[in-house]
Amino acid sequence: MTLFLQSLISGILIGGVYALIGIGLTIIFGVMRVINFAHGDIMMVGMYMTYFLFTLFGIDPFVSVLVTIPLMFVFGAILQKLFINRILGALPQNQILLTIGLGLIMSNSMMLAFTSDYKILTTSYSSSSYRLAGLSVSKPLAISFLITVVITAALYRFLMKTDTGQAIRATAQDREAAQLMGINVKWMSILAFGIGASMAGTAGALISPTYYIFPQVGSAFTLKAFVITVLGGMGSIVGATLGGVIIGVVESMGAAYISSDWKDVVVFAIFLLVLLVKPSGLMGTSRT
Amino acid sequence: MTRFSIFTNRRGASPLALIAFVVIVCLLFAFPSLVESPYSRHIMVLLFLSTIMGESWNIIGGYTGQYSVGHAAYFGAGAYGTMIVMNASQFDADKLLELQDLAKDSRLSSLLLSAHDLHPWTGVLVGMVAALLLSLIIGSICFRLRGPYFVLASIAVAEIVRITVLNLADLTQGAEGILISTLPPLTIGNTVITDFSNNVPFYYIGLLLVLLTIFVTWLVQNSKLGYFFQAIREDQDAAHSLGISLTFHKNAALALSAVLTSLAGSFYAIYIKFVDPTTVLSLDLSVQIVLISIIGGIGTIFGPVVGALVLVPLSEVLRSNLIGESLISSGMVNSDSAFGHFLTENLSHAHVLIYGILVVVVILFMPDGVLGFFKSMVAKKRKEAA
Repeated sequence: MTLFLQSLISGILIGGVYALIGIGLTIIFGVMRVINFAHGDIMMVGMYMTYFLFTLFGIDPFVSVLVTIPLMFVFGAILQKLFINRILGALPQNQILLTIGLGLIMSNSMMLAFTSDYKILTTSYSSSSYRLAGLSVSKPLAISFLITVVITAALYRFLMKTDTGQAIRATAQDREAAQLMGINVKWMSILAFGIGASMAGTAGALISPTYYIFPQVGSAFTLKAFVITVLGGMGSIVGATLGGVIIGVVESMGAAYISSDWKDVVVFAIFLLVLLVKPSGLMGTSRT
Repeated sequence: MTRFSIFTNRRGASPLALIAFVVIVCLLFAFPSLVESPYSRHIMVLLFLSTIMGESWNIIGGYTGQYSVGHAAYFGAGAYGTMIVMNASQFDADKLLELQDLAKDSRLSSLLLSAHDLHPWTGVLVGMVAALLLSLIIGSICFRLRGPYFVLASIAVAEIVRITVLNLADLTQGAEGILISTLPPLTIGNTVITDFSNNVPFYYIGLLLVLLTIFVTWLVQNSKLGYFFQAIREDQDAAHSLGISLTFHKNAALALSAVLTSLAGSFYAIYIKFVDPTTVLSLDLSVQIVLISIIGGIGTIFGPVVGALVLVPLSEVLRSNLIGESLISSGMVNSDSAFGHFLTENLSHAHVLIYGILVVVVILFMPDGVLGFFKSMVAKKRKEAA
């Protein structure tokens, strides 16, 4: 029972970060219908940013989120303006290949600049944990989960209550109709990609105290982000949040009860099952 | 969709192009006796390998329009099939006794024991059969999905294969990989090849495989079966309503592509004599396989050849660090300076960067690939002249 609760808790905590990655991908897909294969690499950029803010300026990784969010937003907006914007009407496979190419450029530029050595960000609390009714809760994971909750809540509020948020949702619902209503859809796309990138970058910042930092770390997270968003339903933010937590729990349960070597197979098997049985996902409405 | 029209190649090859092709092939056969340096042969072998991978993917991606980004699974099947059988055939008595002990409990060990009795080179066939079976399983799962969902599913299945190979350490030696020190002699007809040290056998095996894949691609482009593939690429709903079985033809195209890709994997394995999951089964390899066709020109016979001609030299220049060393040896950059250190240490690790830059440039500025770009340039010039 303790094992069950223990893996449930650590699954939910890491699931919060996964949700953040998934939300970024799903917003980009919702507004632009582009599947961003560079998502994990954008996250990797966020990790390096956090690492250098910590080693060069001594800024705590959780405080550095305040810097990472705006910087990654600008990074995403530039990517959208320079590259993604030009292929919005192209074949889906060309869009996929372009983002794959951008991801390769990011990871290999990082390798060029900092070599492929693993970097470890060690804070004073990296390996400390809280005791809670006989269970141990990793301190960095618990803090990052709280930050995730705050950011997700703020994002929901922004999308639901503000005019700009509504305009983004309208663009996602029907791009042409939104344009006819006088919404600047190009600006909304830039905004959406910026938000998506800053979510991914924040996720990178939040896991950097507990994860190795290296240039190729992204591709594993890109795959995870797909699993999360497809599970939740492409384009659905609630779905991505749910999907993130589910995948976090499945992973940690799989590691506890099957074996940590095979936990990713469990995740991918669930992914295939969802694709085959209900491709629209838990919260999705349409197949397109 | 005029640029993918099935009628563009109806005229067939012009006599001039055919003569050029024959001359180039003859030159390629004479190449090892004309050029002595082993390094040049090494580059040619890399070119051949890339071409085989690109042509094989082109059948399912370029001609049938199904963007599989999981071809590393088939490449790995060929590479591992070859290496497992070849390695098993070289087991000594001690290892065999140990295996017989293990075989009581582990089915994988008994599998290895039976692999010991096979002829070492039958591993290539084992790899082909494995790739074929894998393609049928993958096809039956993934072809129910379309567009981006198919791409994602193909990636997921390839990842499952990679993790499985990583964890079946009894059979595959896990993350360590399989290393073979000497290749067993290869008998073709009456000739027995024992000396592989000078790359020449690999050169000819590679060249023959290139010609084989080009021939198969030509067949796909000009046969009834191939027309069905291309009809599915153009509009699968229309093809379906005309009575073309989507499931059968997609699976047939994938099986053909998978078997050829496994040959590329076997060729790689015997050339490098080492396989491990990260080199032959990773997502990065799947992506590289796709890019060869995309950069050269998708859905054309010689697109992958052009793609390999563009990619291999560029990535080799970065990998072998020709730029860095020539800058340092010419005295333009001090080897002790930070920049010199950067050139020698970091640049060689980043040869995949060129793939990234090229694919972005190609997608943005030449969506039909390098070959398509030059074709349309020529067409434009002709129009202006007329």
